[in-house]
Amino acid sequence: MKQTLSRGRFVAGTAGTVALTFGGGRYVIAAPTKDITIGLDVPLSGPYADQGQDQLRAYHLAIEEINAKGGIMGMNVKTSEGDDQTKPGVATENAQRMIERDGAVMITGGSSTGTAVAVSGLCQQKNVIFMAALTHGDETTNQNCHKHTFRRYNDAYMSAQSLARTLVSKYGTGKWFYITADYAWGHSVYDNITAVVEPKGAKTVKNVLTPFPGTKDFSPMLQQAQAAKPDVLVLTEFGADMVTCLNQAAQFGLTKSTKILVPLVDEYMAKGTKDNFDNVVSTAPFYWKYHAAKYPGAKKFVDAFTKKYGFPPSNGAETAYADIYIYKMAVEKAGSIDPAKVINVLETTKFQFTKEQEWYRKEDHQGVNSCLVVEGIPEAQRGANGFEYARVLEVHDGESVVAPLSSLSCKMESA
Amino acid sequence: MEAVFQAMLGGLVLGLIYIAIAVGLTIIFGTLRLVNFAHGAFYAIGAYVGLVIAQHIGLVWAFVAAPIAVTVFAVLLDRLVLRSFYDKEPTSQLLVTFGIALVVEETLRLIFGSTTQQYVMPLALQGSATIGPIEYPAYRLFFAGGVIVMLVLVWLFIERTNYGLIVRAGVRDRIMVQLLGGNIRRASTVVFALGGAIAGLVGAAATPIYGIDPGTGFAFLVPSFVVVVVGGLGSFWGAVLGGLLIGELQSLTNLAYAPASNVVIYLCMALVLLLRPQGLLGESEVIKQ
Repeated sequence: MKQTLSRGRFVAGTAGTVALTFGGGRYVIAAPTKDITIGLDVPLSGPYADQGQDQLRAYHLAIEEINAKGGIMGMNVKTSEGDDQTKPGVATENAQRMIERDGAVMITGGSSTGTAVAVSGLCQQKNVIFMAALTHGDETTNQNCHKHTFRRYNDAYMSAQSLARTLVSKYGTGKWFYITADYAWGHSVYDNITAVVEPKGAKTVKNVLTPFPGTKDFSPMLQQAQAAKPDVLVLTEFGADMVTCLNQAAQFGLTKSTKILVPLVDEYMAKGTKDNFDNVVSTAPFYWKYHAAKYPGAKKFVDAFTKKYGFPPSNGAETAYADIYIYKMAVEKAGSIDPAKVINVLETTKFQFTKEQEWYRKEDHQGVNSCLVVEGIPEAQRGANGFEYARVLEVHDGESVVAPLSSLSCKMESA
Repeated sequence: MEAVFQAMLGGLVLGLIYIAIAVGLTIIFGTLRLVNFAHGAFYAIGAYVGLVIAQHIGLVWAFVAAPIAVTVFAVLLDRLVLRSFYDKEPTSQLLVTFGIALVVEETLRLIFGSTTQQYVMPLALQGSATIGPIEYPAYRLFFAGGVIVMLVLVWLFIERTNYGLIVRAGVRDRIMVQLLGGNIRRASTVVFALGGAIAGLVGAAATPIYGIDPGTGFAFLVPSFVVVVVGGLGSFWGAVLGGLLIGELQSLTNLAYAPASNVVIYLCMALVLLLRPQGLLGESEVIKQ
């Protein structure tokens, strides 16, 4: 039997195709959605696994809390999860699966700038919001900025500015030696720190790049540092790599002979390096002990997290938790999950959850919020669970340390 | 100059770790014709057993318990799983040992988490020793000395015992050994257990230096394979020469241009495979089989 094409069917089909082509797919069809899917793309193996797992805990906590109170605009939040192994290729494959198979309307995660930049490009193509969580390299919101990507975490520029301002009077004119992870984030940190301290008189002795990820033996680089006898040793390594590197630095006596800077730290790195982290200076966007004492939102989060998991959250977990709430706020304010409308809210709204009042800059989507400079304390003083790892030396206001707009090479798409 | 000397010392220590793992790999391959991808798992199990014992009983006992635990694991693995794969084609062996490596890695992750852990080295070895113009961590020197002693013992085992005779003969001609009545089966279990015990001990002893996470075993396994290939499959001295070469090459490259240090060892392997496919000290017989 020959199939005839009725006029009505033809019109409906054409309208549907047009809607799908020009209207951004699923958002046009106004059928009531009961569920909304968020993609959680974090490293559960590889050198940043500790950070990824803690982010996942925070995502689960936020989503449970939100679902218990009626979801996002009445929609129940579901998740699609994947282990990105700290590898950009795997992270992108995960995100693609979350979007295409599971219909994720927002992707969040990433404990590395390498994975964040890769996923950011994909989300831009797919017209899906990407709330980049733990990524510290400038690229995420500078060279590789995208309309659909928002990063709340401090970037390397902010950390470098904060570190330099706190330390420059004491160490500014000394000899600085750098050991740097050889990928986007490491380069970004190195460029930023030297740009701040060199004009003040700091002398860069050498910058040794280390293979990333998973270098096991840092002794050749540390021996060079030992021979150079620097005043300041900057170890730009993160996660398990930083733990290995700093512990080996201690074996070479460097923790005693040299002031050590680690541009970014979290609770797990401090735990892994034990007393070797004593006196090491670093930065963190959030420190549960400091913020819980100061902000009710932070206290609520830290208490709920500690109650659920038995220990306080790391700073990566905090940004993961806040990202879910920020997305919820934006969707509800926009009255829609349409990315264009959500982006508009995120670009123009100030909000407060776990820190002071903060916002995203419209020009690059970098979050503007404070940066803490912290100094490690001995293991014996870190409390029962070892999570009280530092004293806060100084808090730098986000606006005072964020990269000036004129310095950016971000070219944002119009949509 | 001082920097070069330092780098060479570092290369020696690194090379000795590779040798210690590669020797186990190479004698297992020589005797059993088994390419054992689970060898990194032996290192990791040794390190974690060492970690638990060091934290609860004491560091010295960690060095005793780790090789014993890995020996037990290796014998069970040999008897229960690998036995039926010895006569299979290399692809099956590769798949099953690789599978075991993954299962062990994920099991360790379930038990101990992904965090890098480390136990504190003995107080007496925490400082540094002065060698000529440079200061070097004392524990690393102790470790290097320990590996050398262990290598001598393994060499004596291979050269001076009847099992060693079967091992050496097996490298040359496995079938002839069996025809002559050599019990290659029992010898194979002993060799497999010995290779495992060495890797386990090295895992426990190297953890105060490098720390341990579930992926560490595999991270050391890959360069150790390169060492075996460069030195010559099945050759004890090949593993020693290959290990020293790769360790030094990696360490000196680190000094010159660190990001290339992981690549340079594979370049070296490619070069050896092109110019001398059987490896520097390998016997061409092994390749033909």
